[in-house]
Amino acid sequence: MTTGTHAARSVTSQGHYAGSVSRFLAYAIDITVSSAVFTLALAAISYVAKVVTGHEVSWNKGNAVVAAIFVAWEFLYFGYSWAASGKTIGMAVLGIRVVMADGTTIEPRRGALRALVFPVSFLLCGLGFLGILVQRERRALHDLIAGTAVIYAWDARAARLRFLARAAEQTAPSPVRGPGQQHPDDEDAERDHQD
Amino acid sequence: MTDPFETLAQHVAERVLDLIVHALDVNALLQRVDVNALVGRIDMNALLDHVDIDSHVLRKVDVNALLDRVDVTALLDRADINALLDRVDVDALLSRVDVNDLVRRVDMDTLVEQTDLGAVIARSSGGAASEALDAARSQAVGLDQFIDRWMQRALRRKHPAPSAPPALLNGRAGP
Repeated sequence: MTTGTHAARSVTSQGHYAGSVSRFLAYAIDITVSSAVFTLALAAISYVAKVVTGHEVSWNKGNAVVAAIFVAWEFLYFGYSWAASGKTIGMAVLGIRVVMADGTTIEPRRGALRALVFPVSFLLCGLGFLGILVQRERRALHDLIAGTAVIYAWDARAARLRFLARAAEQTAPSPVRGPGQQHPDDEDAERDHQD
Repeated sequence: MTDPFETLAQHVAERVLDLIVHALDVNALLQRVDVNALVGRIDMNALLDHVDIDSHVLRKVDVNALLDRVDVTALLDRADINALLDRVDVDALLSRVDVNDLVRRVDMDTLVEQTDLGAVIARSSGGAASEALDAARSQAVGLDQFIDRWMQRALRRKHPAPSAPPALLNGRAGP
């Protein structure tokens, strides 16, 4: 199935509850991005510490302090993103967004609460995430606790128009274009031919 | 019983009137009448109020035949369109037009596919990155819907689940 036909179907999905694949992919991107940023930050701190003190500083990932800082960073990353705009970087890429359970814009404190209870879904052997598959509104445990839901927010209509535009450009010149009006690419080709 | 004198007087009056009418030259009399002054004294509006134009006049008029005899081109040549347009209040006219409804009736897909608008959009939409993002999102939505269909079958739900939060279903709030 082509992107265009997918996009045509997705037009009707805008504002609907987001499904498991989109949410999982968004989470995977977020974990990758946040972990990369954390690792880069630790490397930067190590470099500065080495320059300033002259001693090599190494970070052990099993260290409780490093783990605690990592957890705090993750909470900050997800909590701030959800509270500020209802979406993280991964969610922005996949075009999904956290809203209140009734569909209105998320309140900042609900975004923070969602980040706070997010680990609960993990702690129950991942069963908290089962709600995305079986719950009628595709809400995970942390969504139910925080009173939130995740929806498709990307403009699939615009995506479809972009697809149609690309397809139209790849095919023959527009029939609407008059005899005196040439496509810029055609003009370039003609100029090259004359040269 | 009528009075015999009254009957006699009536006969005499009728006889005298006949003699007078026969003695009068009606044509000469009419030539002395000022018809314009007479018409000027007639209240035309009151007269027209008495005429049923719809049922008596217009039914008898063959409007098509009448219009066939009208030289529309010559008529338009005589009309000062610019002066006519100057008198049109375009703002008032546009305020009566439901532009949103008009736009909704436009087939955007056909418009983009068949006009240079498509090329403009294609060049201004970020190229490969935008295309890849559209593709990734579309594929994800497709997989979401595939899994959702199977879950619905597995759970054997009798009533379909709501597709969107209430505020978005009712169109009260944007995503």
